[in-house]
Amino acid sequence: MAERDTSRDIDQAASDWTARLDRGPLTPKETDAFQAWLRADPRSRGALLRAQALSMMSESAQALGDGFNPVAFEEARRPRFAGLSRRQALTWTGSAAAVASLVALGVALPAAGAVVSTRRGEIRLVPLKDGSTVLLNTESSVRVKYDDGQRRVTLLQGEAYFSVARDERRPFVVEVDGRRLRTAQAAFRVRKLDADPVDVLVNEGQVDLTVGGRTTASLALGANTRLTLSDSRDGAVEQPRLIAPEAVTRELAWREGKLAFEGETLKQAAETFARYSDTRIQIRDPDLAREPVTGLFAANDPVGFGRAIAHVFDARLAQDGDTIVLTRRAAAE
Amino acid sequence: MSGADRERTRWFLRNILPHESALRGWLSRRPLPGVDVDDVIQEAYSILAELETVEGIRYPRAYLFQVARSVITRHVRRARIVPIHTVDDLERLEHSDDAPSPEQHTIDRDELRQLARAIAAMPLKTREAFILRRVKDLPQREIAARMRISENTVETHISRGVLFLIDWFGRGGNKRSQTSKTLEAEIAGIDGRARHQSRH
Repeated sequence: MAERDTSRDIDQAASDWTARLDRGPLTPKETDAFQAWLRADPRSRGALLRAQALSMMSESAQALGDGFNPVAFEEARRPRFAGLSRRQALTWTGSAAAVASLVALGVALPAAGAVVSTRRGEIRLVPLKDGSTVLLNTESSVRVKYDDGQRRVTLLQGEAYFSVARDERRPFVVEVDGRRLRTAQAAFRVRKLDADPVDVLVNEGQVDLTVGGRTTASLALGANTRLTLSDSRDGAVEQPRLIAPEAVTRELAWREGKLAFEGETLKQAAETFARYSDTRIQIRDPDLAREPVTGLFAANDPVGFGRAIAHVFDARLAQDGDTIVLTRRAAAE
Repeated sequence: MSGADRERTRWFLRNILPHESALRGWLSRRPLPGVDVDDVIQEAYSILAELETVEGIRYPRAYLFQVARSVITRHVRRARIVPIHTVDDLERLEHSDDAPSPEQHTIDRDELRQLARAIAAMPLKTREAFILRRVKDLPQREIAARMRISENTVETHISRGVLFLIDWFGRGGNKRSQTSKTLEAEIAGIDGRARHQSRH
């Protein structure tokens, strides 16, 4: 009897097939071999799924940007875990200078609810005990407090994407600016930026917004709806809007470290980039600032974005420290 | 990958993979004779891969544990001799995840930084090919031209890169949620892995 493959052998074969599929379409002969491999062992499909998932995850390496210098990420020999309290942050910058900022964040206080934060340019996935996850975008923080009756997360600032595992008995409640969003199971984004009203975008499932102070009335938000919460707590009528699935995908591109624009003005795009790095994009020419931008860009690479814009709009790009200045050629001359 | 496959892969990446270390810890705490943890995990993933749809799964972590449990049961039944304590253990497995534990564990899965570190730790040629493929998004053919190596060699490097990520993230890696109960096992795993990496 042939020796049974170890799980490691299977992982090896799964990696080979993942690389082969990444190269291009299979020939008919290869397709047969691939199918035969899948059938040969009950572990094959699972190993392939994991290999492909990690390969997919590695696609987000694009967000590391062209300036990615792997040497900066090589590790010195040191213990990987000093203890539970050592929370390390993700920095999207590929520059060596950024590595210095990869330090431990503060320790959370479980009694008052654990606070999890990201700094500018960081993104962080927070897996919760019940199987739900919170993905924090740049400069965001949430407080997590679970008890028997409720799974409560308060969005203190920034933007978070909640993937809520179903639990009918224990609702998942997101508090933001004193408003409550409640669900048994859903996937949704909540954004609270200083300048803008709170913005809710439901990707899957249903989220109920409690309307009014003590009343139990609520506004149901289904998949692909977006709601902007007005400042006044009870007066204004809030009207959820249905939006196209493609628009939802665009809005959530940050989850992959990317920013997607479709017709936003250059000024708006520049403001969006400002959330993700210390580099500022200045557009001196008002006409240029109103130009619509479309495309998918690495969130951590404002310079690359600037170059692309300069190319498309025939603008001139000048970089001065952390500032990128875009001017129309015609206007500059 | 077809669109549907990609969708399933994405679902798996976001909803299942983050719980692998918890599952591994749970499986390792009470080892069953003749049952290999990695085999169980792969087989459980196979079952998830073959599901018609995952839409009905509201509670992926619990579902994953349940699937793993069914795989073990099958393994135990398949074995010719079932030691009596194995059955006992199975029953304990049934309940072990219900044990109270701290309310939430936010060990960060800081993916991109971990990814950067994983790529940085790859063997040099593999790293070069992998960066061209994943950071610069060049097709394998173009990478071959740039590195002046054959396309087959590029494919081999990409495969090594993927296997490297499986080792880094999938087997005792350090990017996922952990319960305090599994932390010790995790540290052991990480140290083992760190040594393994250093041989490259």
